Amino acid sequence: MTVGALIFAFNNEHIDYVKMANWAATNIERHLGIPTRIITDKDVAPIGQYSRKFEDLPESVTWYNGNRVDAYSLTPWDRTLVLDADYVVASDQLKYLLKIDQDFVAHKTAYDVTDVANFNELNNFGRQQMPMWWATVMMFRKSKQAQLIFETMQMIKTNWAHYRNLYGITRSTYRNDFALSIALGTVNGHTLNHADIPWKLATVTHNHKLTQIDKDEYRVDYVTPDKKSRWIKLTHDFHAMGKGHLGAIVDNPC
Amino acid sequence: MDTENLVTHGRARFEYTAARRVLKEKYQGKLTFAHAGGMWIAGPELLATLSACASPTSVILDLYETPIKVSTLEFRDLVRTHWQEQMNAWLIEFEEQSKNR
Repeated sequence: MTVGALIFAFNNEHIDYVKMANWAATNIERHLGIPTRIITDKDVAPIGQYSRKFEDLPESVTWYNGNRVDAYSLTPWDRTLVLDADYVVASDQLKYLLKIDQDFVAHKTAYDVTDVANFNELNNFGRQQMPMWWATVMMFRKSKQAQLIFETMQMIKTNWAHYRNLYGITRSTYRNDFALSIALGTVNGHTLNHADIPWKLATVTHNHKLTQIDKDEYRVDYVTPDKKSRWIKLTHDFHAMGKGHLGAIVDNPC
Repeated sequence: MDTENLVTHGRARFEYTAARRVLKEKYQGKLTFAHAGGMWIAGPELLATLSACASPTSVILDLYETPIKVSTLEFRDLVRTHWQEQMNAWLIEFEEQSKNR
């Protein structure tokens, strides 16, 4: 059985996602010992062009996030990990996802490592506050079930205005997390009964300063609600929402 | 990093409460492991289940509620080892954190 990781990376005015993905690929190779394929605009035409403002960047950037639904057809492997370019692999934790007898898993719960932000709103979506599965880390194996999930995501993306209206999503921007969550519900007969990654997705939000202090050690500086400067250390995998801070780490890694 | 940032960086205090919570999340994840196609959490509950199994092979439910056939003693040793390896690593990181300013 062949195994590998897939990262989608489309550069924009301020963020070098390809460089970020290359750095992520070295971490994946070092910790998980699997090959990585980076999908760029040289492989496929970027789909889903949106303008998005990241708090740690000076101005809005063009954001391409519509190609994730092609992961199933693009992967050369039997079992694939799809990771965001801004997901930092700092441990071998994901290796267990490559050994389980499941067709598709993703994170169901994310949390703010500083505990400052309330993630209840991010872990749910739409008018009915449906639970959200995060597309940041997905593991799938070639199977009817996984194929159906990706085909359903494609259908949702194609008919985004309809699904946005149906689920009462206020933001007009298409988001992979929403499409994945709706697809998993649909494929499972409109139930919430789908296998998830059984640990939480650690997240560093845009407004917190992220620096690298050693090879797999990161420092998060933040201000508490009562305006006190605090920091914590991370020694495990996390999702870096602040692209500016992660970009600086990628430019000068330890 | 400019001077202002350096001063802010230097004045920031280590946040023990958040750090301990992050460490707990980290090791709750690391206690999770795969074996025989199933996903498990190494700990007293799984060890107690395996201790209750008298046969050389047992069928138990994994985290996804899938029945998995395991070699009872081999799996029990694996669970015990994984549990204590991760708990020791947790203790080491916990003690290191206490030294932070």
